[in-house]
Amino acid sequence: MTGMKAYYLSRAVISAGFGLLFGLSGSPWWTAVLVGAVAFAWFLAAPHIGRYSVHPEFGVTALRRDERAQGINDKAARNAFVISMLAAGGMIAYYAAFPAIAVPVAALRWILILGVVVYYVSDIWLRRAQA
Amino acid sequence: MNLRNRLKEIRLEKNLTQETLAGSVGVTRQTIIAVEKEKFVPSVRLALQIALALDTPIDRIFWLEDSQGGKP
Repeated sequence: MTGMKAYYLSRAVISAGFGLLFGLSGSPWWTAVLVGAVAFAWFLAAPHIGRYSVHPEFGVTALRRDERAQGINDKAARNAFVISMLAAGGMIAYYAAFPAIAVPVAALRWILILGVVVYYVSDIWLRRAQA
Repeated sequence: MNLRNRLKEIRLEKNLTQETLAGSVGVTRQTIIAVEKEKFVPSVRLALQIALALDTPIDRIFWLEDSQGGKP
C-alpha cells in the first residue's frame, strides 16, 4: 500500500469514527453522515491547502506542519499573545483608575476574541508575505 | 549576507514538479515555492534533504551572497 493510500484509508476510518460518535450521542442519522462526510472532505483537502504535509508513517497524526508553516504558526501565536496581554494590561489600568467599578467579565471575552482575530490575521498576512 | 538559490533551475533540469519534490522531502508545495522565490530561508536539514532529493551538491543549489551582490 502506498503512503497516500494508507493516508486516505486511515482518514476514511477516522471520519467514519467521527460520524459514529455523533450517531451514538443521539444526533439524527443524517447529522452523523454529514459530520463524517465533512471530516473526510477536510482530510481530502488538507494535503493541498499548503498548511500541512502528509506523513503517513505517523498514523493518526499524519497531517503535520512543515518548518515554514510551524514558523508562521509560532509568529502568529506570539503576536496574538502580545496583543492580548497588552489589551488586558490596558484594561486593568483603565479600571484601576475607577476603583468603584469591577472589571466586567464580558471585557475579558472580547480580549480572547481579539487574540483569536490577531492570530488568524497574522497567519494569513505571513502566508501571503511568503507566497 | 543573503542566502541565494537556483532550486527552480535544478528542479527543472531533473524534470521534477514542485509537488513531487515537496513530497520527497516532506514539506508542502507552498514551502518549495517560497524557497524558490527566496522568501523563505530553509533550515540546514531541509536544504540537505533538497540536495539529496535532487542528487546535487548543496553548494550548487544554495550559496551565500554578500550585500553587494557577489559571492563572499
